[in-house]
Amino acid sequence: MYIVIAGAGRLGLILAERLKEDKHQVCLIDKNRELCDSLASKLDNIMIICGDATYPGVLREAKIEKVDVSVAATSADEDNIIISYLAKDFFGIKRTVSRVNDPKHIPLYKYMKVDNPVDSISIIARVVEEEASFSDVMNLLSIKKGRLSIVRVDIPEDSPVANKSLKDIELPSNSVLISVLRGPEIVIPSGSTTILPGDEIIAATLIDSETDLTRSLIGKV
Amino acid sequence: MKYVIIVGCSRAGRALAQELSSKENVVVIDKSLKNLDLLKEDFNGKKIWADALDVVTLEKAGIKEADALFLLTGNDNLNLVVGKVAKRKYKTEKVVLQVNDAMKKKIFGEEGLTIINKTYLLGEVLKKCIL
Repeated sequence: MYIVIAGAGRLGLILAERLKEDKHQVCLIDKNRELCDSLASKLDNIMIICGDATYPGVLREAKIEKVDVSVAATSADEDNIIISYLAKDFFGIKRTVSRVNDPKHIPLYKYMKVDNPVDSISIIARVVEEEASFSDVMNLLSIKKGRLSIVRVDIPEDSPVANKSLKDIELPSNSVLISVLRGPEIVIPSGSTTILPGDEIIAATLIDSETDLTRSLIGKV
Repeated sequence: MKYVIIVGCSRAGRALAQELSSKENVVVIDKSLKNLDLLKEDFNGKKIWADALDVVTLEKAGIKEADALFLLTGNDNLNLVVGKVAKRKYKTEKVVLQVNDAMKKKIFGEEGLTIINKTYLLGEVLKKCIL
């Protein structure tokens, strides 16, 4: 794929390097001349364009019309909105992704119809919150902007499902157990699998059912 | 009395705010306190020291009731984004914004947005002087 990334800050740079490792074609745009010069001497195989990506001429220089995905990763939200707007509405790019620097600016991304705003601050805040809380449930992965979650649930001694076999357990709809981790063992569950205290359960659940799932596995929320 | 919101309290915004505030209901937003402090004592309006890209700021400034919104920050992209949102989301009647790049003016222009390009205006005035 061909991917254009606007903004060669830490995020843009890491992203460019990773995409390059996955054999994608990458072009980085940044308006800082010195940064561009130093990147150009350091990075092989990544096209670097020095310019302001909120100008259509600069995007055109990056061959934006051939792009599969455009990423607006600058540190200014107004610039990211304009870049994604240009890519989508002016150049007709189907997949645009945009970094949100300040969660307070999310409504503007929404009103300007930016397709995939990624709010890194809120994502990190959620991860830290989950790590910091002593909950027995941990979100491992969010899919479709958090609508589907893969969670890990540690089964406590007093769990209502402890020592029961799976066929006798009633799970909320829209939830499914994927596997049971028991020490070094990984069990792919079937109806006869028995849940033991200390098991770690990996489950997939729609976000609305997460609380119900927690309640049925742990007994409390 | 008209209800006017001015975003950007640098030279142009400040002069406009100062003058309008004697007759109209004026709210000035700027993210720099220094700029707001430069308004003279006879400024008879409200100052909001905050980020205009935050809709909470816009709503606090009364965007839902405003008759006009002037976007006069030096940041073309901010002016454009806030101007478009005011028009689309809050249906502000008059939205006037300063955009210094002619190309952007052409691309982002839409019905109901008055986009002013300082350089172009100055050029027109200068041309008139020699005619």
